[in-house]
Amino acid sequence: MSLTEIAFYFLSFLAIFSALAVILSKNPVYSVLYLIVTFFSIAGHYFLMNAQFLAAVHIIVYAGAIMVLFLYVIMMLNLNEEQEEKTKNWVKIAAVVSACSIMLILVSLISKSTYNMGKAPMAGDAGLVQNLGKVLYKDYLLPFELASVLFLAAMVGAVYLSKKETSKS
Amino acid sequence: MKELLLTALLGIGILVLDILNLKKYVLPFILLALATLVGFIAADWGTIETPFGQTMLVYENGANLALGVFAVVLFFWFILSSSYFKQHEGKTDLYALVVFSFCGAGLLASFGNMAMLFLGVEILSIPVYVLAASKKHDLASNESGFKYFILGSVASAILLFGITLVYGATGSFDLAVISNFIQDGKDASIIMNVGITMILVGFLFKISAAPFHIWTPDVYQGAPTWITAFMSTIVKAAAMVALFKLFTGPFQFYVEANGYTIGVIAAVTLIASNTAALWQTDVKRMLAYSSISHAGFLLSTIIGNASLLSLLFYLLTYSIAGIIAFGVIKETQTLEGNPLKGLYRRNGVLAFAFTAALLSMAGIPPFSGFIAKYFVIAQLIEAKYFALVVVMIITSAIGAFYYLRASLNVYQHIENAGRIVLTPLIKWTYILLTALLVLLTVAAGYIHLL
Amino acid sequence: MALVAAGFVVTTMLLTHLLGPKRKTKIKNEAFECGIESVGNARTPFSIKYFLVAILFVLFDVEVIFMYPWAVNFRELGAFGLWEMFTFMGLMVVGLLYIIKKGALNWEK
Repeated sequence: MSLTEIAFYFLSFLAIFSALAVILSKNPVYSVLYLIVTFFSIAGHYFLMNAQFLAAVHIIVYAGAIMVLFLYVIMMLNLNEEQEEKTKNWVKIAAVVSACSIMLILVSLISKSTYNMGKAPMAGDAGLVQNLGKVLYKDYLLPFELASVLFLAAMVGAVYLSKKETSKS
Repeated sequence: MKELLLTALLGIGILVLDILNLKKYVLPFILLALATLVGFIAADWGTIETPFGQTMLVYENGANLALGVFAVVLFFWFILSSSYFKQHEGKTDLYALVVFSFCGAGLLASFGNMAMLFLGVEILSIPVYVLAASKKHDLASNESGFKYFILGSVASAILLFGITLVYGATGSFDLAVISNFIQDGKDASIIMNVGITMILVGFLFKISAAPFHIWTPDVYQGAPTWITAFMSTIVKAAAMVALFKLFTGPFQFYVEANGYTIGVIAAVTLIASNTAALWQTDVKRMLAYSSISHAGFLLSTIIGNASLLSLLFYLLTYSIAGIIAFGVIKETQTLEGNPLKGLYRRNGVLAFAFTAALLSMAGIPPFSGFIAKYFVIAQLIEAKYFALVVVMIITSAIGAFYYLRASLNVYQHIENAGRIVLTPLIKWTYILLTALLVLLTVAAGYIHLL
Repeated sequence: MALVAAGFVVTTMLLTHLLGPKRKTKIKNEAFECGIESVGNARTPFSIKYFLVAILFVLFDVEVIFMYPWAVNFRELGAFGLWEMFTFMGLMVVGLLYIIKKGALNWEK
């Protein structure tokens, strides 16, 4: 086994283990911490695939910024143990059945696919910052500019929902 | 390109007007911009434009026409809802969000690339999550926004996963490349099929078709009524146009292979919604179920040989009827008790408009809903989906029952009715829209000339 | 080499964890608050103002990230790239002005 392979299996194990821990741990704060571990191991996978920019963004934005939001939300939700509502049994069964069927589809997808998909869509160094920039600012120029519209919409929405009303009431 | 710039800059312009303290000019500004947009579309008729020479967006007749339909519907939405938003403190914020969402609808009408599709879906739905929760101190509105947000995000995630799988199979986001990939006789691998199924699931949620419709009644009922009107018309129409573009364009082979399954989904949608609507006492909730049943009709346009034109005709008539119906509910909402009962004594115009809207939704002849449904059914017969047609006719009969029940309610006699006073502008808009419902029937005769 | 280094770290960590003495008492498990007895619950609902600031931070954070691949390709993209980024930044500045106008960054009230 080469070093890359060892790294791959280690990161995959870590990602799956921590993802399971996210949904299985009782304490929501632990879940968030495990989620950070998941994000880091996914970022490691990006590194292995030679996508440094994506890895860096993943750590900065997801593990850094988004997780802070998660923590805030958990603190705001005021989750004390005694308040936790019991989910109904049939809801649990339905969730398990639907999750298992998606799992089944994906597993059969992986086992049946021939990996014979013609040329590789991207060359090996496509994830480098320079190449990514060229693609983003030439081919994907319009989506890039329109992302700012999405940002503005999100900004207006966030300000609208969380701003206190200034009126007399 | 002009159209895109106009819609995007309109939203930003509203923010600028807000920054400059010019709130009172916001509404005229929007109406002017929408009218200009329709003008641009008329001027661009018959041309094909691809901004920057890329196929990210393709403005051809179909896309322009869809954008025009959205613009017209939004124009009337803004006029009718103006009295509600006049008192509203966050008026400009909400207007800006609506316009941003409309910008997303414009992208869905004209996208030529999957990256643009996803961006369009997000720009369309993110403002609507906020809008659904925009009555901040109302618990029902909060619940509505929260449910829509959680479920909508999951649907977007599934859609995105589907897009990546299709990319994995074909190596491109470009719709033209994907179509060529199929037409070249290359094997549509299982990855591609699963990807397309996931895209379909994402869209079934967005147009609220069974079995992904369960969120609809709660969300539609809880959201502020004018926002419900927006969601059930423009948001739904935009998602439907995108679905239609994909599944009659690059993914047509998928529909040919799985037409029967999609037909079953449409039939289940129709049955589930119409039987549930019978038991509703709240008229807003009933209209939510009616909106689901229309999703069944809309979905079946992709399995027949329906043209985009007949789909847009359906969307236009349904949207006009939807705006009227939800608008009338909003106008009567301040009264206590069963507010629609005896509406004709309170305001004749509203009562008549409401009846016309419901009858059009039911598909009763003088109104254009009939022609819209006729187009769909005729194309299904042509494509030999007889079982689905039978389901449609039976469920339409059930539908006619509850639509008639609701509209007869309006003509019940009540004592000492207080008048509802409308401003002349709003009154004449209701009259105009009701007339449009009839005029579109006449216009349908000329639709094949386009 | 790498394996030896990693193995050393892992074994020492495991060993100290296993060999070290453990005494668990109620007082030992309490959160240490500078010697002051802890009062109440740590999970109290707090103002949404913090959340607003955090979410605005994320938005501008993502915006700045877009500049990195642009800056790397700055020369190659030329004047067109410059205008591209100006447009993008211009729109974000409108957003910033809007936020300031709405008083979303004012802490008092």
